[in-house]
Amino acid sequence: MRKRAWLPILFLAVFTLSLSAAFKKEDVKVHKLDNGLKVLLVEDHNIPSVALYTFFRVGSRNERPGLTGVSHFIEHMMFNGTPKVGPGEFDRRMEFQGGRNNAFTSDDMTGYTDWFPPAALEAMIEMEADRIQGLSLVPEVFESERGVVASERRLGVENDNDAILNENVRATAIMAHPYHWDVIGWMSDILSWRRDEVMAYYRTYYAPGNAILIVVGDIDPAKTLGLIQKYYGPVKASPPPPPVSTVEPPQMGTKTVIIRKEAQAPSYLAVWHAPSAKDADYLPLAILAKPLLEGESSRLYRRLVREEELAIDVGGGIQETVDPFLFSINVKPRPGADLDKIDRVIEEELAKVKAEGITPQEYAKAMNIIRNDFYMSLQTISGKAGQLGSAELLYGDFARLFTVMDDYAAVKINRIKGAAGTYFTDNNKTVGKLIPEGGAK
Amino acid sequence: MRRLSGTVLALVLFVLGASALPPGAARQLPAAEKFVLKNGLTVYHLKNSDLPIVSIRMVIRGAGSAFEPAASEGAAGLAASLMMKGTSKMDADAIAEALDFMGASFGIAASEEYAQVYGDSLAEHFPRLVEIAAGCLTDPAFSADEFEKERSLSIDGLKSAKDNPGSAVRYYFQKAYFGGHPMGYLASGTETSLKTMTVQAVKEFYKKHFRPDRTIAAVVGDIDKAKLVPLLEGTIGRMANPAGTAPPDTVPALPRPKGRKLLLVDKPDATQAYFMLGAPGYAMGDKVTAAASAMNTLFGGRFTSWLNTELRIKRGLTYGAGSNARTWAAGGLFTVSSYTKNDKIGEMLDIVFDLLGKAAKEGFSAEEIESGRNYILGQFPPTLEMNSSKAGAYVRLAFYKLGFDQYDKYLDEVGRITPASVKAAAAALLPQADFVLVVVGKAADIRPLLAKYGTWQEKKITDPGF
Repeated sequence: MRKRAWLPILFLAVFTLSLSAAFKKEDVKVHKLDNGLKVLLVEDHNIPSVALYTFFRVGSRNERPGLTGVSHFIEHMMFNGTPKVGPGEFDRRMEFQGGRNNAFTSDDMTGYTDWFPPAALEAMIEMEADRIQGLSLVPEVFESERGVVASERRLGVENDNDAILNENVRATAIMAHPYHWDVIGWMSDILSWRRDEVMAYYRTYYAPGNAILIVVGDIDPAKTLGLIQKYYGPVKASPPPPPVSTVEPPQMGTKTVIIRKEAQAPSYLAVWHAPSAKDADYLPLAILAKPLLEGESSRLYRRLVREEELAIDVGGGIQETVDPFLFSINVKPRPGADLDKIDRVIEEELAKVKAEGITPQEYAKAMNIIRNDFYMSLQTISGKAGQLGSAELLYGDFARLFTVMDDYAAVKINRIKGAAGTYFTDNNKTVGKLIPEGGAK
Repeated sequence: MRRLSGTVLALVLFVLGASALPPGAARQLPAAEKFVLKNGLTVYHLKNSDLPIVSIRMVIRGAGSAFEPAASEGAAGLAASLMMKGTSKMDADAIAEALDFMGASFGIAASEEYAQVYGDSLAEHFPRLVEIAAGCLTDPAFSADEFEKERSLSIDGLKSAKDNPGSAVRYYFQKAYFGGHPMGYLASGTETSLKTMTVQAVKEFYKKHFRPDRTIAAVVGDIDKAKLVPLLEGTIGRMANPAGTAPPDTVPALPRPKGRKLLLVDKPDATQAYFMLGAPGYAMGDKVTAAASAMNTLFGGRFTSWLNTELRIKRGLTYGAGSNARTWAAGGLFTVSSYTKNDKIGEMLDIVFDLLGKAAKEGFSAEEIESGRNYILGQFPPTLEMNSSKAGAYVRLAFYKLGFDQYDKYLDEVGRITPASVKAAAAALLPQADFVLVVVGKAADIRPLLAKYGTWQEKKITDPGF
């Protein structure tokens, strides 16, 4: 899917062929508190800073109609007050001590990312532990933050044609599973969430057993663990949240979405149902995405942008998700471009992959891209914390980060052709076109 | 995502204190080794073997968009992108294939004052990356066919940018603020300027402006000096200085708006109105830098800033509101921007003007000053964490003729700011009577709300250009 502000694709999509000597599984100290909280600690004195990341196993896949977008709303409300730390105090105290934070929500997870000088460690652990034990959800603050999220939706979806198409295509391709809606949620739900149902949702998912805490940087691991035990130890364990049981039924024919609206340029997006991150077909499709879509030498960039001059840019690929999601090909067509022709070119290129697979040169290229991206991401304490957290959340074990190289190396080149044949079928496809009305030609 | 990504951090790298000193032991930035290639190109090198990767950054002084002939707006940007689209030895597809094969990132881009080159790769691929970079820099083909492709892509890209009011408002603002001044030339060109552009104009720009004696490079990562020197001599060491006198490499004094200049851009399908307001800032290295940086942090440069507190946290009017300071050798620009539902734009602007007045008149409390100081100091280390950020810092500091201890001096100065010095910076820098204000939104809804601010020039988003 096209990158949205509330999707943490940046560090979810990146994996590796080999890990550096500078970052090993043994560098990660693992602990589990009695209440179920898993803790990962990595000592790294490269810069005088600490990255403290908290991931919760909750995202839009856990939502239901009427409460769509609530995972992301709670992400916002986590900064808006507890009985101990008043509304806005989290940010004020943190910034006063030289810290900065951000947070994200995806379909599968919610993450809180803090960066601060070592002296702020105890204060940060205390405030992080506090806000998983109860939010105030002060009514006036609740209403004000509702407005912020509505503005975020106007910014991210309603005033962005690609995002409008993206939301429509996703909702058409996925009929039953909660991946049907975007993380931001439907506007009518945003405008009508009730305080009591938001609180119930928060209590269900914000529990120590449903979270992982990662601290990377300029720390003393023993002392840090002591602080974590002090502040998180008393947090009560909760029953595990209910599983997501809906399974998307097989699609029975190509679906088409047409949107007509005022625009200078059209938009195009095609998606096919794709396997979850843990599925054996995930890696072959992740490898295929590189020579098909990434860089100016990729097959589709060459055809659509360079040769046929139908498009400004091409992107897409497969996302790492807990449940089966989509493989997407998004195209930014040139104003006036023939969208049916774009569709034909894509089908021609997919037919070639299904018949012949990719070349050894393309396979080597994919591996180089994956390896390069991975090392680049490990340069920073935040990169390390993010990689550990998403490996833990998606694969159930952070150590996956240190073995995924073997998994990639084990994918034989002919598996790519096989996986393409399985997933790139007419019955599996949804295609969306946004056609400009009015505006300049 | 909870907030827009950190312009604050990008800013910190640019906000530097005064005066140059010889490079020496610096606390924030490790001392890089300097050497000069036979063609006059200056190189800084720092070895870091933590990971098997290397980054290179280069700036070419005077090869930015502010040095284009007025009739060739977009020539610098087109020169930069076309240099990657073929040399006498490799065509565009071969270059793309070679770069993608390595998984490397590589680019040439035009800023206002300089062109920049960036490259990041695995250490094993770095020699190949630099060889390709040198081909692009010394031997670009500028074929007519690639020129036509690039030009038409740029025109369509500009049209497409108008579908997103958040990016469109920046283009309109740059044009409205700088007018015909060279800092107003868009690196992308405009639909109008690109229509009359010729490949000859692009070639001429390249020939005059890409010179080794105006180029600074920095290499940081897993590579030894013994290997790096011959590698660079044999690659970017081939760049040759053109004959004849060198063209100008300084930008004329920046314009200063007098009174209010108001522009409304009608985008009838917009459900939010986006504004950008700006006035003169300060030049790179100005002595006000530390106090101004603290002022910006407190006013609109972080989550709990005045702007974000009043517009987002207290009232829920917007997802994000902030201020930003751009600094160049010739001067600077201070901007404030946000967006809200069409019917709230008047309320939003009233609050912005109130805050601008209050900050200039009253300044900030001692507690706020302490918080701002801690924030700047605490958030500085991650800005130099990566190989690429260190390489970028070396070339920028050298470009502005500042020492590598500049960050130390800047942070020391931040340690010494006072309520009085920050108030003075606010009074000097925050726009009061003289400014440029651009709003993009649905004119039919917002025109009545904007009338009280003065007389607005109006444009339609579908009109060509900005």
